Amino acid sequence: MSWDLDRAREITRRHFFGQASVGVGALALATLLEREARAGAAGTQGAAARGPHFAPRAKSVIYMHMAGSPPQQELFDYKPALIKFNDQPCPEQYLKGERFAFIKGTPKLLGTPYKFEPRGQCGTLISELLPNLSRCADDIALVRSMHTDFFNHAPAQLFLYTGTSRFGNPSMGSWITYGLGSDNENLPGFVVLVSYGKTPDGGKSLWGSGFLPSIYQGVQCRTQGEPVLYVQDPKGMSRPLRRRTLDALADLNRLHHERTLDPETVTRIGQYEMAFRMQIAVPEAMDISKEPKHVLEAYGAQPGATSFANNCLLARRLVEQGVRCVQLFDWGWDAHGTSPGDDIVHQLPKKCKETDQAMAALIADLKARGLLDETLIVWSGEFGRTPMNERRNDSKYLGRDHHPHCFSVWLAGGGVKGGITYGETDELGYFVARDPVHVHDLQATILNLLGMDHNRLTFKYLGLDQRLTGVTRPVRVVREILA
Amino acid sequence: MSSRRAQITPAARSFTATAARAALVALAATGAPAAAAGAGGAGADAATVDFNRDVRPLLTDRCLKCHGGVKQESGLSLLYRHTATAPAASKRAAIVPGKPGESELIRRVTAADPDDRMPPKGNPLPAGQVETLRRWIAAGAPYDEHWAYRKPRDRPLPEAKDPRHAPWPRNGMDRFVLQRLEEKGLSPSPEADPCMLARRVSLDLTGLPPSLEDVEAFAAAPTEEAYERLVDRLLASPHYGERWARLWLDLARYADTQGYEKDNQRTIWRFRDWVVQAFNQDMPFDRLTLEQLAGDLLPEPTLEQRIATAFHRNTMTNTEGGTDDEEFRVAAVVDRVNTTWQVWMGTSFGCVQCHSHPYDPFRHEEYYRFFAFFNQTEDNDQPGEEPVVSSPTPEQGALAGRLKAQIAGLQAKLDASTPELEEAQAAWEASMQGATEWRVLKPSSAASSGGATLKVLDDGSVLASGERPANDAYTVAGPLELARVAAIRLEALPDPSLPKGGAGRADDGNFVLSRVAAALLPGGGRSVPPGDAPSVPPGGARSVTLAGAAADHSQDGFPAAHAIAGPDPKKNGWAVAPRQAEPHRAVFAAAEPVEAGAGPSLRVVLEHLYERPGFTLGRFRISFTSDPLALERFLAPEAVLAALKKAPDGRTAEEKTLLAKHHRSIAPALKPARDELARLEAELKAIPIPTTPVFRELPAEKRRQTRVFIRGSFLAKGDAVEQGVPRSMHPFPEGAPRDRFGVARWLTSPENPLTARVLANRLWEQLFGAGIVETSEDFGTQGAAPSHPELLDWLAVRLMDRHRWSLKSFLKEVAMSATYRQTSAATPARLEADPQNRLLGRGPRFRLEAEMVRDQALATSGLLSRKLFGPSVMPPQPDGVWQVVYSGDQWTTSAGEDKHRRGLYTFWRRTSPYPSMITFDATSREACTLRRMRTNTPLQALVTLNDPVYVEAAQALARRIVSEASPPTPEALAARGLRLALLRPPRPGEVERLAALYRGTLEDYKMDPDGARSMATDPLGPAPEGADLAELAAWTVVSNVLLNLDEYLSRG
Repeated sequence: MSWDLDRAREITRRHFFGQASVGVGALALATLLEREARAGAAGTQGAAARGPHFAPRAKSVIYMHMAGSPPQQELFDYKPALIKFNDQPCPEQYLKGERFAFIKGTPKLLGTPYKFEPRGQCGTLISELLPNLSRCADDIALVRSMHTDFFNHAPAQLFLYTGTSRFGNPSMGSWITYGLGSDNENLPGFVVLVSYGKTPDGGKSLWGSGFLPSIYQGVQCRTQGEPVLYVQDPKGMSRPLRRRTLDALADLNRLHHERTLDPETVTRIGQYEMAFRMQIAVPEAMDISKEPKHVLEAYGAQPGATSFANNCLLARRLVEQGVRCVQLFDWGWDAHGTSPGDDIVHQLPKKCKETDQAMAALIADLKARGLLDETLIVWSGEFGRTPMNERRNDSKYLGRDHHPHCFSVWLAGGGVKGGITYGETDELGYFVARDPVHVHDLQATILNLLGMDHNRLTFKYLGLDQRLTGVTRPVRVVREILA
Repeated sequence: MSSRRAQITPAARSFTATAARAALVALAATGAPAAAAGAGGAGADAATVDFNRDVRPLLTDRCLKCHGGVKQESGLSLLYRHTATAPAASKRAAIVPGKPGESELIRRVTAADPDDRMPPKGNPLPAGQVETLRRWIAAGAPYDEHWAYRKPRDRPLPEAKDPRHAPWPRNGMDRFVLQRLEEKGLSPSPEADPCMLARRVSLDLTGLPPSLEDVEAFAAAPTEEAYERLVDRLLASPHYGERWARLWLDLARYADTQGYEKDNQRTIWRFRDWVVQAFNQDMPFDRLTLEQLAGDLLPEPTLEQRIATAFHRNTMTNTEGGTDDEEFRVAAVVDRVNTTWQVWMGTSFGCVQCHSHPYDPFRHEEYYRFFAFFNQTEDNDQPGEEPVVSSPTPEQGALAGRLKAQIAGLQAKLDASTPELEEAQAAWEASMQGATEWRVLKPSSAASSGGATLKVLDDGSVLASGERPANDAYTVAGPLELARVAAIRLEALPDPSLPKGGAGRADDGNFVLSRVAAALLPGGGRSVPPGDAPSVPPGGARSVTLAGAAADHSQDGFPAAHAIAGPDPKKNGWAVAPRQAEPHRAVFAAAEPVEAGAGPSLRVVLEHLYERPGFTLGRFRISFTSDPLALERFLAPEAVLAALKKAPDGRTAEEKTLLAKHHRSIAPALKPARDELARLEAELKAIPIPTTPVFRELPAEKRRQTRVFIRGSFLAKGDAVEQGVPRSMHPFPEGAPRDRFGVARWLTSPENPLTARVLANRLWEQLFGAGIVETSEDFGTQGAAPSHPELLDWLAVRLMDRHRWSLKSFLKEVAMSATYRQTSAATPARLEADPQNRLLGRGPRFRLEAEMVRDQALATSGLLSRKLFGPSVMPPQPDGVWQVVYSGDQWTTSAGEDKHRRGLYTFWRRTSPYPSMITFDATSREACTLRRMRTNTPLQALVTLNDPVYVEAAQALARRIVSEASPPTPEALAARGLRLALLRPPRPGEVERLAALYRGTLEDYKMDPDGARSMATDPLGPAPEGADLAELAAWTVVSNVLLNLDEYLSRG
């Protein structure tokens, strides 16, 4: 009896929100442990080592995704040649064998209508569309030489977050919480916040756990309605009554456990307790109404809104409380130029205005709280946009088509060298000219900053040691941007 | 191929190293003497080396990553004997059979120099492993096939060693289980009590709990015969098919949407119903295989057989702009190949797409040989999922037949002539002499309410330009040069200045005329400057009531009649797609001709209120007439008008028939029959006959050539290949066609080493919580070894030979076994000896799967709808879950009993699956799910505690408790609740605990009537008359506890 309870407690302790969390219950846990033991005994390098592989530089990560993919030419990758040759046909040698989502025929080059200036001490060139972020130039590492393998939204987003364009693989956040667990017992380790509640193109698979146990899947917290689904007690049930029902439930479960001795029962009792605590902790963490006015104003957040600004503030609150991964999705960046609703003259400045202040406020806020050093911030779209005007159906609005060959991302905080620019694109910004960074390299770099080796963070599935960064191409950590 | 097996000392075979280890473990764990008697210990059989047991895991763990199918460092692959014994880049052979001393492998693993030693990473091989390799090579280095690639063979039934165990086995499988238990010195557990057993077998076979009455009846007389009757009844239940379809639909990656970014809806639920039916009819698995993979290739396939092929049409379809159809067609074929291998053979074939299998004997080009079988179907990533078949359900087919018969009857009546009709026709013919004289309205004014510029042209038509408002109303007026007006005519005139040269201003040249109105204005036809709306003296206008409408052409669903009486002007009106480029006419007749009086003007207002912006008329002309038969003449075909012009006796027979027919189509006497016909036809048309995407083989001249894709890229094409199966597998059945039909035969051939094992293991996994091969998704060399290899073989052979692929027959045998019937209650000793219950020394206990969690709560509360089949339903789901970027699809909660259908029927959107189901480890079904995880998380607690679906169930259960128990003491009611939920008598302490909770809660609610009302009625609805809300609320709270008990959520 005592043996069994100790064992069950051991399992409970290691559960869901806890350190080194594995919570599939005794059976699966034992399988996992056995697998590890087997692999470990044989000494292979593929064993999933849980916990950091080396000293982490960042404890948590906030990933801000601009779904649809912003045009790098308007924001971070200044191309004077495009301005010079604006409206000239794109040279044929670029177009040979190229496939576009919408462009047909020979498109014309499109120079940016926006001004760029050197910002901060470092002099990183950033567009006038991002005045607030520009003030943080010395904190960010700008990578202008990203490239990816896909040029449709869903596959490219899946590729960025799960390492393949197919469905069914775990997301980066799931891998990270699988590897590191969470530092808060009452909050999920991997939280997803979506501006205006609009699910991005790749769907919920972008935070799914794939073949990893589902405890590692991202929990979408909502800023309208219940913050986590079903977190509110039914109408008419008071907190003290909920407490009493859980006491009765636990008593009856214990009675039953005396007969079955099933460790899962003890685990379940613990999970109901955790749920009870979550019912308080999650709404509290998600309630920004008690934030001081100056903080709300700094972000441009308003209690009750579902804006990106609110989500940035929530991201700070969550990492402050030990949440490992916070994933933000914003929406409306697919600047094709078919109408004022998706062009670079009307829509893009609107989107920049909606996000610029909050991003900068997040960096400054984390810095002021001494959290920036241990929080990694990443900003990206899923691919780049063409140096050419898309001009679908002779549209008179300016916009750019999908472009996998180059795009820009920036990173800041935990372990990242601030004030640098890494990588270059060619004169027209069509291909990467120097220091290419593939999506898998970015993933490996993020894992590295969190103290994990992408080659060692593996999970056995379908007979293979699966990993985030795949096996088909050599992957490297971009050490040049590490502090 | 290599020789089969190393020579093994025959005497040593009865006592293997595994058994020895097991004995030692048992000894160490229990402190008792080793029960599996045997001498010698581990060293005794060290001389014998079994490739699969001793060598393969070693090579796999330490060598094959670099010297396998993907990487072949230094030109060496140890995957096959012929490559391992061939000279590598160093010109030396890794293995020289019979000569360990000359084998480079031995030299390298024992090298003292770390730079020379293999493997380069990790510790050197321990001496024991080196010795194993040495002995193996000395014995000739025989490569043996992985166990799963060898045909299963019938195994003799082992005898019980301990005479006390001899009576325990009930059938063959128990003997194998007992053998392993005895090897470990363990005994089986006693049989479960009848209540536990009845609940277990019911949930396992039908996915639903039994009724309390059924359990009590069985518990009263739990004889062998009664148990068998129970099992038989469950297997015959229509809910059996639903439960097993759930499993199959995971494998088939069934969903109600297309997946990818847009994730549009897909109608494919007839396939779901086909699966339920197939299981209910116990279609043998080889037939099930054949119909799903190649139903279309059967001779004269039935509709159901074609629907079966939708199995592989559950692949995703990408309708995002700019996607290459071929790319996603290939992705679908790849998915079909991978899914086929995973589902039928538990083999991950997917990696062979890019390179040879790293561990298992499949080569890169072999992937594409198999791919070629599936590369010949017509479908190619079309948004409409073509090819599809119209798939009426049997009920729909019957209804359509009835309606068609009624329609034929009415039609006959309408075709028959009578003296009365002939008389009426003569009168009608007389009245129709003459022709309508139309006068063009010459607008003195034309105004747009939305700011468009209207210009009156010389021919009297009006042309719009300039602003194109979302909605617009044109007001056109001009002198009426007739004494009365009986009808107006609107001509929509194409104009080169308009989009696509049509008559409308929408981008496609179309328009939607929402409303047309006409009025007469007094006042001498005074001229108003164009552009100003005529000012109307108060009370001066007389509207012309328009009562009939017709047009020479109307867009489907947009008839001219909608412009005078459409149900919703935002959605209805007259439109002309797809014939925008031609001129069209619509005639609107006044209910009664209106006398004009002196010199009036006619004002016509054309309103455009359509919900999509810009669908306004671009160029039009209005005419009017005083002919009261204008509409009738307009409706009459040219030929009828021509015939009417002739004298009656000058008409040909054809013309006479034509006139009679036309007259009957308008004769007032036949109007009731015509209306009835129209109603029946509308009813027939309104039957929501679903379609189903199916397989259709390309015609011979369009067959695709299959080429190897280099590194898996569909753009990098290598050599052409012909259809075929991997060489390492059993050959294609002789004489079978080299198409999907043949593949189905090959998969279920008795020569196939995998299919029967994989299926037996999968069914076993459902009943025992884990398979004999725990990695049911992977039977390859990297998968887990079977816990009972002989049992698995025996089951596989029996499934094919004895049960003839009948799942019901197989499941019955398992359910009847002593192994299955053991109690799941553990003892500390049992738990310690076998914590995971891999040896099956007790009954399996595990959490219910997602669908069962839902179905059980609905069943216990009495809310469950037991309706089978039909379109997927949308039970309540929180607002805001379904917000997808590119789709306006709404989650519309189903009404009536569809709110409470089994989880199987819940609408499955891939990008946003039903949240509570996902929390309980269901998957998004984007790809084939071979094994669901089973987790235990706080989010699950939140679902069953707080999800309104479960709160409603608790409320309904509370009402059941209160209504059914007597005497109504809290103790009696609590006992009743326990019985209803757990289906067993209460145990000491339980009733008291619940009654105490009830009493305390009741006090709360007596003081909080509002809270009590919410708890008792929201969302279920008003309480029965006379019910005490506080009591009901308190029982709801108790029920909420019952529905969350670990015992309730598990099956023990």
